[in-house]
Amino acid sequence: MSVVTISRQIGSLGCQVARLAAEALGYRLFWREVINKAARCCGAPDAALADIDELGLLGLKTSLKASQSYVEAVKRVIEDLAAEGDVVIVGRGGQTILRGLPNVLHVRLVAPAGLRAERLAQRHQISLEGARAQVEARDRYRRNYLKRFYHIDWDNPELYDLILNTARFTPEEAARHIVQATLNLPFPARQETLFPYDTIPGAC
Amino acid sequence: MIPSPEPADPSSPRFSHPAEEAFAKILDFYGIAWVYEPRTFPLEWDEHGVTVEAFRPDFYLPDQDLYIELTTLRPELSTRKNRKLRRVKELYPEINIKLFKRREMRDLMVKFGLYDQAAGIEGTQAQKPEGLLRKNAQQNAG
Repeated sequence: MSVVTISRQIGSLGCQVARLAAEALGYRLFWREVINKAARCCGAPDAALADIDELGLLGLKTSLKASQSYVEAVKRVIEDLAAEGDVVIVGRGGQTILRGLPNVLHVRLVAPAGLRAERLAQRHQISLEGARAQVEARDRYRRNYLKRFYHIDWDNPELYDLILNTARFTPEEAARHIVQATLNLPFPARQETLFPYDTIPGAC
Repeated sequence: MIPSPEPADPSSPRFSHPAEEAFAKILDFYGIAWVYEPRTFPLEWDEHGVTVEAFRPDFYLPDQDLYIELTTLRPELSTRKNRKLRRVKELYPEINIKLFKRREMRDLMVKFGLYDQAAGIEGTQAQKPEGLLRKNAQQNAG
């Protein structure tokens, strides 16, 4: 019944590492599904688009009320997934929503900005200049998202149990470290110990 | 009863405007599933029940259950479209629909190196796509 949350910088190969770790552990992987499910639950599907649109290309502006409702729905979706267990959850504040729970491993994937821009440029066949701008914008967006809605500093190492630099590790090696750390987590005997709540709110 | 959007092959739709193609590329860039013009919403009928006015949103995003309509910059065109959109919401309150304006979209695409996506958006008051021109110049020089 363990859970892995993965916070990643753009270009740190986070999704690749998450997929490999989930496959190795036999866990379900949740990424974009959290966003879409939450937005549909709170009746604000455009909030999902705004969240996906980290570069602001679509120019979406959602109201504060809709944003807060959406963030609350994200929290509920992540808590429900964690209650089910055996999941890898990428992004969306998992490191703070599930903070302090004994069966949850919080992972952070990083890499130097220059390397991340090079990876992005190569992957999307775009200019290095454009890739650097994307890295800066997406870092800023994710940092602001967590600060605005969860009042945490994205770069605070205390939020994470394991920080991996993918400039030093291949995705396979990084995934192996995550798997090893996950297998060392304590397993709660009963699901009630996972969340100290009276009831676990439904996703929808 | 509203029929569900019919699944369509998004790989080769014939876009009616280059901006729609550019928008589709943005959706692809973000990995968002989309369907182009999957259904039409009747808005007005004559005395024989024949549809005389209808609205067909440009895109449907199945994962978000959201219809998307793109607008041009010119306000006189937007006004008519806005009226239709209001009517759609009155007649079909259960559907989610969002109007997108293309303002600044091209500027942002150029800034972030998405030249191919930016190339489809024309006729805006956007900045000169210097990155785009630079890329074309490089291609011509090569």
